[in-house]
Amino acid sequence: MIPAPLGRLVAQLAKLPGIGEKTAQRLAFHILRSPREYAQELSQALLETVERVRLCTRCFALSDDELCGFCRDQRRDDGVLCVVEGIADLMAIERTREFRGRYHVLHGVLSPLDGVGPDQLRIKELLSRLGDGKVEEVILATNPDVEGEATALYLTRLLKPFGLTVSRIAQGVPIGGDLEFADQATLARALSARREL
Amino acid sequence: MAAPDADEHWAPPSARSQPHLRLLALAVRDFRNLERVEVEPSPDATVAAGQNGQGKTNLLEALYYLATLKPLRAARLAELIRFGADQARVEGRFLIRGAERAIAVEVSSAGTRQAYVDGKRAESLEDYFGGVSVVAFTPDDLAVVKGAPEGRRALLDRAVFNRFPSFLKESRDYSRALKSRNRLLRDSAPDAYLSAYDETLARLGARIWMRRRQLLCELAPLAEKAFAAIGRIDSPARYRYSLARLHPEEHSLPEPQLCTRLGEALRARLPHDRDRAFTSVGPHADDLAIELGDQRARAFASQGQQRALVLAWKIAEVENLLSSLGYLPLLLLDDVSSELDPDRNAFLMDYLARCGAQCFLTTTEPALVRRAASPSARWLSVRAGTVSPSHPPASQP
Repeated sequence: MIPAPLGRLVAQLAKLPGIGEKTAQRLAFHILRSPREYAQELSQALLETVERVRLCTRCFALSDDELCGFCRDQRRDDGVLCVVEGIADLMAIERTREFRGRYHVLHGVLSPLDGVGPDQLRIKELLSRLGDGKVEEVILATNPDVEGEATALYLTRLLKPFGLTVSRIAQGVPIGGDLEFADQATLARALSARREL
Repeated sequence: MAAPDADEHWAPPSARSQPHLRLLALAVRDFRNLERVEVEPSPDATVAAGQNGQGKTNLLEALYYLATLKPLRAARLAELIRFGADQARVEGRFLIRGAERAIAVEVSSAGTRQAYVDGKRAESLEDYFGGVSVVAFTPDDLAVVKGAPEGRRALLDRAVFNRFPSFLKESRDYSRALKSRNRLLRDSAPDAYLSAYDETLARLGARIWMRRRQLLCELAPLAEKAFAAIGRIDSPARYRYSLARLHPEEHSLPEPQLCTRLGEALRARLPHDRDRAFTSVGPHADDLAIELGDQRARAFASQGQQRALVLAWKIAEVENLLSSLGYLPLLLLDDVSSELDPDRNAFLMDYLARCGAQCFLTTTEPALVRRAASPSARWLSVRAGTVSPSHPPASQP
């Protein structure tokens, strides 16, 4: 019989995505063997995360304050706004360290089959951000699937009246990847969108 | 009877001698009524003979499912599993362009499938379709000329998929966008929202049009020649694309213009489409027009003529894969011989015997298919879900 608190910890850990019963047990034993401070630190971090992390009131990325780090950062360019579907996409773009503009997180895509329409996304908030005239270009970085494309097209129509540049991220063969490993649809698309040198 | 002069229209025999695709072994477990079957097919023809309901079509379907991940007959995936079993599994050892590959697919009772290539999970369908192509010929195909347009579209799209593997994703995307637009029509969504899906649908639809057009450009002349070679009918056959609610010439526009035209048509049909909550223009509403002389074969051709028109299409599909991609598909024929008259059956059997493709045939009457079988053919007998070796039928006088 394992002690009840340990059993509860294993059960909670096993609820995490990608964590099975065995891994949960290994993690729980690891926590048990670690110095007491580790468990304290971990539990505090967990609580603080759920209590303090919320959505930035401007771009709707994650934040521990009214405005997130991206919105507060003075060095970033107010003229360019990158629109993404979710936080994970924002992180992916951020990892490139190429983009120094601001973000806007939609929290989803238009998907009639899943009952998600414009009102369920942060679209109104996006439009109201453009009112101050600082933004000169909006980059639509939704995924290149059916819903991502439709969302980009929908936004394009809404953004046109603002008289700013609306651009869409390019699609094609990943750099550093071998052509032989690219999937057929990507390669076919890259071939049809080829350019002259 | 075979028309010897037909050969000159078709790819040279040298191309046929290269075995680019060959099934070396097939193992089936708990698939439909087949509990455990292992078959080592002949490089030429393998014939499964048996009475109806014994499982010979199931054997063919297992191979078809392995090659296409689609059931040969309409069914939910879970129906592919033998009654009382948890999962079905089909595995094939193939020789693909000189390399041996093991390809397997499992279907679980929850209705999910998992594909494996050389024992490793295939992450995407694209990983999986690495060069196994099949052309299947079933009694249902013989009815498509007379049937509803969707049967002819399916006939066309199967040929497109064999020729252009990316068509699988493209057509799935199109049907998802179409379902989305229909949902928006039903929900009376505002125009601004709907038009975003119109444009998405127009782009994806233009791609479908272009693929089908490319395929028909290659295939229609071959099918028309094959039809002439089958003989006995003086009128020429014609296979052409029929656009729903658009001018026929628009089909020859380049892809960007196709997209524009479809977008315009969708906008123009919007009031009508809103009333019906259904999208009335686009590739999903088109047809493959099959004509004999100058008349629609659907209304005017006899049953025998209609079957000859399908037979010519299937032969053209095989020939087109050889001439455009350089290899022959596996041929799967499900009891087609009993549906054809003796002359046309003889034509088909002679074609199978000399085309060089690996063939799999089922029949209730082995004598009908013996012309397709060389001395190295493998004969199997199927009874109540079990498959055992058998012998060729005694030769006829």
